[in-house]
Amino acid sequence: MEVFFDTFFDFNFMADNFGVVFDGFIWTIKLSLVGGFFALVWGLILAVMRQLPGKWFAPIRWVTIGYIDALRGIPLLLVIFLIANGLATLSSQGTIPREIGIPNWFGQPDPFWYGVIALTLTYGAYMAEVYRAGIEAVPRGQMEASRSLGMSHGQSMRFVIVPQAVRKVIPPLLNDFIALMKDTALISVLGLVETVQAGRDLYSEFFNPSGYTLGAFMFLIVTIPLARLVDWQIKKQEEKFERGIP
Amino acid sequence: MSETVLNVEGLKKSYGKLDVLKDINCKIAEGEVVCVIGPSGSGKSTMLRCLNMLELPDGGRIELHGNEIFGGGKTRDLDVLRREVGMVFQSFNLFPHMSAKQNVSIAQVRVRGRKRKEADERSVELLTEVGLGEKVDEYPDRLSGGQQQRVAIARALAMDPEVMLFDEVTSALDPELVKGVLDVMKGLADRGMTMVVVTHEMNFAREVADRVIFMDKGFIVEQGNPDDVLGNPQQERTKRFLGLVLSR
Repeated sequence: MEVFFDTFFDFNFMADNFGVVFDGFIWTIKLSLVGGFFALVWGLILAVMRQLPGKWFAPIRWVTIGYIDALRGIPLLLVIFLIANGLATLSSQGTIPREIGIPNWFGQPDPFWYGVIALTLTYGAYMAEVYRAGIEAVPRGQMEASRSLGMSHGQSMRFVIVPQAVRKVIPPLLNDFIALMKDTALISVLGLVETVQAGRDLYSEFFNPSGYTLGAFMFLIVTIPLARLVDWQIKKQEEKFERGIP
Repeated sequence: MSETVLNVEGLKKSYGKLDVLKDINCKIAEGEVVCVIGPSGSGKSTMLRCLNMLELPDGGRIELHGNEIFGGGKTRDLDVLRREVGMVFQSFNLFPHMSAKQNVSIAQVRVRGRKRKEADERSVELLTEVGLGEKVDEYPDRLSGGQQQRVAIARALAMDPEVMLFDEVTSALDPELVKGVLDVMKGLADRGMTMVVVTHEMNFAREVADRVIFMDKGFIVEQGNPDDVLGNPQQERTKRFLGLVLSR
């Protein structure tokens, strides 16, 4: 038992190397917030495109559905490589400008932006499905009432349907956000020293896995409260539902 | 007879093999209150929903003030039609994330292009008219069914529609709340609003309607002034239906 603790919970080691892991965790947080933000926005755009009415928009709906199906069916790791290596190749051929192929926007390194793009593309697809569930859960009568007042489909979506849908899907969106946060670890493959890579670096240098444990704690400090928040939100919605409020 | 507001000719609608409307012809004159009665499944709600294109008809013509808005399978100016035709639903369909005032204001601002302040003033005025002057800032979940339905009426009126459609607006209400809603509708009728009312409230039809239409199986079976249709029906089907409804 003591050996176990010495191996995984070497508190002296954790204290000595706290800064290394914490610097990595800052990257995790930055990736999560920026990637999460764009995924939320992109997901909503996809969901709305998927709901465009009438036969003229059918091609847009098909493309959107195809995109969502494809990105949900590909490993995020593959998307990360595809984006990073793909953009770099296009840029070196001169097909796209260097500022786009190897982005250093706002002083952030290119692995960060490749990661943000990959997270947005993949998690946007996941979140689009969540939004869709929310949009479809808004009673039909809401759209009818809105259209009967002369509001267009777009206005009805914007002012009537989407605001209600978003409220309904806050808990599952938060769940997706937790998953996204954990998946930022994959971006370590591009050489970004985020939490997991910081643990690996410490392990290779000192042959001590406690850096991983420290990283795990840092994740949990954020993810557990988020999980509680999800439960609390669900409970709140259920109570509302029990009172008979749609 | 005054000017025709709505003119419906040969309206048809089917869902797959089920013909819901077979051949509907009727004219609604300005200021007229028309009550549509009939057994469930007779197509009366579908007809009403066709009048503002919530259901697309399969055939026939609909004219609003002489302008064809549906004909030959083609629709025109849907949003224009809908803003001139107010609709009130059985299930209220208030926007739950907006206060009563916002519910009434939103389309005034977005469709009629009114200033927010002007729209809000009009909303308060209308809500006061329907007896909800105290409730303008309440959200729908804090209002009774009857109050919600009166907000829904105010919301449709705020667009200054040429004609109001009512789709069984009291059917989902507790009995003690029905009167408040019917009183508002009577008030509207008295002020000359053109109204098409699908209803099971025979007393309302008798008191308020200028004309009663009895529908069954996708046809208009019989129509005329309320005393004739309700008191002395000519068709067997009308007699049978009224016998069932009025003996309750």
